[in-house]
Amino acid sequence: MNSLIPIMVILPITCALLLNLIHTKERAVKILAIIVGIALPIIPLLTSYGLHYFGGHAPLINNPVLAQGLPAFLTETVLNIYHPAITYIFSSAQQLFIFILGIMAFLVIFTSLNETKRASGVYAFLMFMGTAAVTAILLSDDIFNLYVFFEIAALSQVGIIIASNAERSYETALKYLFLASIAAPMLLLAVAFLLGVSGNVNITDIIYSINTGLVDPQNPVLLMACGLLFFGWLYGAGLPPFHTIKSAVYSKALPHGAALLQAFSVFTFVAIAIIILRIFSFIPLAKIFIIVISLLAMILGITMALMQTDFKRLIGYLAVGELGYIGIGLGLGTALGITAGLFQAVNEALITSLIFIGFGTIFYKTGISNINKLGGLMTENPRLSFIVILSGFAMAGIPPFNAFQSKLLLVQASITAGLPELGIIMVLLSIVTFMTFMKAFYTIYLRPKPSDLEINDKDIPKATVISMVVLLVLCLILGLFPQIATSFLEPFAQGLI
Amino acid sequence: MVIDVQVASFFTAAALIVLGLFAALFIDNLIKKVIGLAFIADGVNLFLVTLGYRPGGMVYIFLPGMSADIFTQTASYPLPFAMVLTSIVIGASTLAVMLGIIIILYKKHGTISASKILNE
Amino acid sequence: MSLYDSIVNKIREIQEISVEKEPVTNLSASAILAAEITLISSILIAAIMLRNINIILMIVIVLALFVALIAATPLMPRLKKEQNDSFNNMIFYVILALALILALFYWGVRNV
Repeated sequence: MNSLIPIMVILPITCALLLNLIHTKERAVKILAIIVGIALPIIPLLTSYGLHYFGGHAPLINNPVLAQGLPAFLTETVLNIYHPAITYIFSSAQQLFIFILGIMAFLVIFTSLNETKRASGVYAFLMFMGTAAVTAILLSDDIFNLYVFFEIAALSQVGIIIASNAERSYETALKYLFLASIAAPMLLLAVAFLLGVSGNVNITDIIYSINTGLVDPQNPVLLMACGLLFFGWLYGAGLPPFHTIKSAVYSKALPHGAALLQAFSVFTFVAIAIIILRIFSFIPLAKIFIIVISLLAMILGITMALMQTDFKRLIGYLAVGELGYIGIGLGLGTALGITAGLFQAVNEALITSLIFIGFGTIFYKTGISNINKLGGLMTENPRLSFIVILSGFAMAGIPPFNAFQSKLLLVQASITAGLPELGIIMVLLSIVTFMTFMKAFYTIYLRPKPSDLEINDKDIPKATVISMVVLLVLCLILGLFPQIATSFLEPFAQGLI
Repeated sequence: MVIDVQVASFFTAAALIVLGLFAALFIDNLIKKVIGLAFIADGVNLFLVTLGYRPGGMVYIFLPGMSADIFTQTASYPLPFAMVLTSIVIGASTLAVMLGIIIILYKKHGTISASKILNE
Repeated sequence: MSLYDSIVNKIREIQEISVEKEPVTNLSASAILAAEITLISSILIAAIMLRNINIILMIVIVLALFVALIAATPLMPRLKKEQNDSFNNMIFYVILALALILALFYWGVRNV
């Protein structure tokens, strides 16, 4: 059903607004949030692929009734095929991404409703709003619409940070918002430049005008637009120079909030990178730039993660570092590379959420995030710590987990693309990732317990354990049967090149 | 010498953006920093509005009895104006959130100096 | 004095300058060392990719980088100091990145 395409965005927004209205009624908040949360991953599965024109304004060529009697300068020029309305594209890759995003949003909201003493409608509002915004970023074929949801996503992320009430969370939120209000106008400027040269904000139409020579591909304004779009992408995804603020953001949010925030970053990364690849694939520098910045993110993120003593920050840096793998896949520009990169995006979103929620249980039990003050927590809950170490295996790319499959694909893609060095660096950094993870795991779980460490006797909520198990099972399924995901991504990647 | 309005507006927009970046980088007072950041957004909005401007153009409302040819030749470009309206609303909400956080930080720290609050 | 001790001393020296209060434990010293080696090796491997442009250029740059990086060890404490949470640092790098990207795309694409 094509009419379900806008519902994927409208439903969470409506739910968010309703939650804000009824935020004092705890029971109603819980019921509404859970129902809509369950609907989020189901809708993309029921929706059929296609385009959605808001307001029903299809291009003239698809609308012969309207085209009758219109003057020739409308029906016989490019205006005939231009998209007059905001257009959403829903294809196989979007289906997978929105499904995964929906599952994670559901699990995170489910966990947060159970972990906090009083269910907060406002907090759920922020999470639904962010989910809706990122879904729209994934779907939108209209670059201005993308900008609007980019801003909404930034604002809801700021809200999620503030809601954690962690030490210095307001300061971090303000810094993030300051950087947002530099990056977002730059993205708008990119939109304005593209509008100026092509007279259009629809991405398909912009590509059409570049390919048919209506716009000179070497036009300096177009090149500036490419640069500014890249700048917005760096901010949205948290690549260097935004990696410090992004990891701080993850570390200041509540653990499940951080899990959702990193999913937002991953999917924003993918969505904007796909747009850049679609519009600017004729500039060789664009792909080189994606690879260089991804390498930088990997190296800086993972080495900085090794230096951290706060485990939330450590995972935050690891999450930023792992983003680089996706970028390398996309930057290679081959069908195999793009498939591998997109597959890695799905895997990373799942695994990093799992790690955030898993280590979050430590924070829940002790209220401490400094690894120098922790230790000996293995005896507290051996089963849970087993899941946490499995998540570490998954992140490092150890079979039978999903990241193994995607990292293997990435290495293969880099070798077939004639850049085996990238493969070597990826393997090397995977090892260091595992080492970083083990450093945190050892200090938290394995070494003797410090005498002054106090552990409260609150039980870990069932919802948290269920979320972790669901995420782990998803990782395992995708690891054993990678073709489930790649069959969605491969046709999309073929269409991109 | 008469300067073209459009060219002058482009230069103003560029100046606003550069000024805003300068303020974000060098001014220590958080409120002034926010004003600088608002300058960036305003500069971009001005750029967008100027994009839709057409010298000697007319309002883009198609009235009955109007010739389509003349309309397309003289009407200004409506899309940027719609976009600017949206962008102004977004800018205002971001501004409100920033100022709200600054109020809380002022209550907490007793100062609005960026180097004292935002440096760890 | 073994190599390890001299590295730990050097790290301690730099940390004293940068007013860090955390103690230099075995774990943190080896973590910094691992980060250091990772950084140097990945930069060098990445530099090998320049062979696609010119092989002599690649050899020269890899050798120069190798000498420079080894001479500048330990890099990680300095890098960490640069990537701190101070807003002034962040916004400086952000605006620098903006300027670099625009310059790169404006001149880089047209003239190369």
